[in-house]
Amino acid sequence: MASFTPYTYIQCPCYDLSNQTRHSDGSPSPTSQDLPDDDDEDHAFDPRSPRFNYSLYPLEYLLYCVDCHQIRCPRCVSEELVTIYCPSCLFEVGSSSVKTEGNRCTRSCFQCPICVGPLAVQSLESAPEASLLSVDNAAASGPTGPWALTCSYCNWSSAEVGVKFDKPQGIFAQLSKLRNGSSTGTDVSLTSGDVSPTKRDANIPKPESTRARFSALRTFNQSQLANSNTGSSMAGGIGDYGFSSPAALTRIMSIYSGSTSKPKNKASVMREADVPNEGFRTSNLDESESILKLRAGGYKGTVTMEQAASQVEEGAHFADELWPVASLLRTKRAKRCPACRHILSKPEAKVSNTRWRIRLVAGNHIPSVTIKPLPTPGVPLLSALAPLKPMQYLLTFKNPMFDSIKVTLATPATTPGRFSSKVTILCPQFTVGANSDDYDLNEVLKAEDRDQRDRRREDDGSHQVEAGKVFERGRNWVSIVVEVIPASLQIQPAPSLLQKAGEPEPDLAPLREDEDILEIPMFVRLEWESEPSQDQVGVAPSSKEKDAKEKRELAYWSVLGIGRISQE
Amino acid sequence: MSSRKQVKGEYIETDTGNKVSRKANLIGTQHIMLGGKTVIMADAMGSSGAAPQSNTSIFIGRYCFLSRGCCLRPPGRIYKGAFTYMPLRIGDHVFVGENSVVQAATVGSHVHIAANAVVGEFAIVKDYVRILEGTVVPANMVIPSFSVVAGQPGRVIGEVPEGGHEQFEMREMYKTVGNNVPPPAAPAAQAV
Repeated sequence: MASFTPYTYIQCPCYDLSNQTRHSDGSPSPTSQDLPDDDDEDHAFDPRSPRFNYSLYPLEYLLYCVDCHQIRCPRCVSEELVTIYCPSCLFEVGSSSVKTEGNRCTRSCFQCPICVGPLAVQSLESAPEASLLSVDNAAASGPTGPWALTCSYCNWSSAEVGVKFDKPQGIFAQLSKLRNGSSTGTDVSLTSGDVSPTKRDANIPKPESTRARFSALRTFNQSQLANSNTGSSMAGGIGDYGFSSPAALTRIMSIYSGSTSKPKNKASVMREADVPNEGFRTSNLDESESILKLRAGGYKGTVTMEQAASQVEEGAHFADELWPVASLLRTKRAKRCPACRHILSKPEAKVSNTRWRIRLVAGNHIPSVTIKPLPTPGVPLLSALAPLKPMQYLLTFKNPMFDSIKVTLATPATTPGRFSSKVTILCPQFTVGANSDDYDLNEVLKAEDRDQRDRRREDDGSHQVEAGKVFERGRNWVSIVVEVIPASLQIQPAPSLLQKAGEPEPDLAPLREDEDILEIPMFVRLEWESEPSQDQVGVAPSSKEKDAKEKRELAYWSVLGIGRISQE
Repeated sequence: MSSRKQVKGEYIETDTGNKVSRKANLIGTQHIMLGGKTVIMADAMGSSGAAPQSNTSIFIGRYCFLSRGCCLRPPGRIYKGAFTYMPLRIGDHVFVGENSVVQAATVGSHVHIAANAVVGEFAIVKDYVRILEGTVVPANMVIPSFSVVAGQPGRVIGEVPEGGHEQFEMREMYKTVGNNVPPPAAPAAQAV
């Protein structure tokens, strides 16, 4: 069995949409009103319930809005593009060129269509072996064309599908010229109909490329619209509004100009495209060639779903129809709070810069929880939890804030789900000290010294698992003990005597995926007193104001993944 | 405890804070440059042919951690008709897991390479990249910052979240290795 690392997931309040909006009265903490849930009584939080899909995140994925004082997750934040760049050549791409040229790199960055490895431009003429043989020759004259894209991982070469290039630069332009028979970008001359692919191994003249067909169809449709609109020149026919921008514009203009001319009832007949020039393509019903190809190439000659999906243009069925895939652009994004639009994270705009202007992560505001099994002498640590045997775990809460926090924990007595394990938190209420950031070495050393003395003192007498007591404590961390009695994973119907009449039939399905993981839902409630928020400080930074501390609280559900229960 | 208190410690500790295991297989040490505070564990391999222009062929920054059995090897190719090694540059706070092979041209700072991974020749790994276990990064691949890479061949499967940057920090880990290390304190060093 794979090793299991304990985890803690924290629930973002966005699972319940009513929590997301900030209260109009500007109350500082929406949680205080909302989160001590009313519906807790009828259905406790079940981390496996589909209702909570995508609302549980590890701490590092969560952001924290300092205005709303609330956790924000990747699902509920709104994102804004900061930079668009190619992940391969790391060139920044302007948003305008993305609009015209698409979301792929237009330099020489390509991915292998077979695997996804990067493709490199290599000369076809002087293979590496040849240059090894005749060292002087190769050294004298550099490699010459034709060039092909080759994959360093699976050794696929674009020459296999007949794609060769005359020069090693500007591969994207060359490739789209090969493919579309015209230059990239705006296809102006495509309606002329003389577009023919120059792919070499194509025996029959293939239908036009998708891009060419699309633009042909678009021009055709626009011309049709223009023709139909001429009839209703300035009147702004209701019948065709919304079809194309000129019509919509005339309609709006007529509204604002106040002309009350009645829309003419005009039969705007639009014709469908029916010749190849207009972007029409008859589907090829004669599949004998494909069948022949299948016979020759077999299953290996066909493409997988994944390969076909990664292609830029659709319609590839055989491996020799796969073209190199230009690498997709990637973005740097800023994130905003969904409720107050406050920026939660904002990276530096430059691609090479890895700093962040703003980064409000939840890890700086809520304590991290680490889970460790408490070693009991004489009992070996097993990779899986033995069912029905009490086990003790150490939960360590580490406080990242500069104020000490009061933590209150709550769990259901038994975990939800089919196999309910018993859970007891021995010390559900404790205070975690502040995380002083001053690097006064003496202070820290002293504190650490005190820590150790404390620990030693505890070692002497107690340091024992005792209800209501903190197990261990440091400057800004506290360890408490949680005891679990894992459930047995045996699936058997309860004796009929114990079954009540009204109860639904017990679920006797076999063990589902990950159902053997012991997950404890835990409600965490934090209370702390902090400096008043920044806007107030700006007004009057008097000493009196500073003393007045603001009481804050935050509450959230979290899930502790303790371990797998062994299936004996 | 007794194994730690050997007469000669398990590690050679230099003035700049490097801790190099005596059992590490370093070949061509004159071509390897450590930036300081770097840990090289037992059986880690660093082999280096000399790069043509400079004497150093492996540069390693500060707070790097080379686990057992990992192998750093400068990439090589035919250059002007002869097989030549090119330098391998590694930034700060780089973790290389057990039995991983790194032949990259550049590995940035704050990079985590898990166990049994292969980073192919002349790959460029930028900052804040996490390469998961068993990944094979193809040769010449460029991995942009804040990527999570997995698979064979390796591909970018996700982004490093904003809150995950501190996990790349290696200072705590550096303290856990050495000749006279205090017994581990109670709080877990790394938050999972």
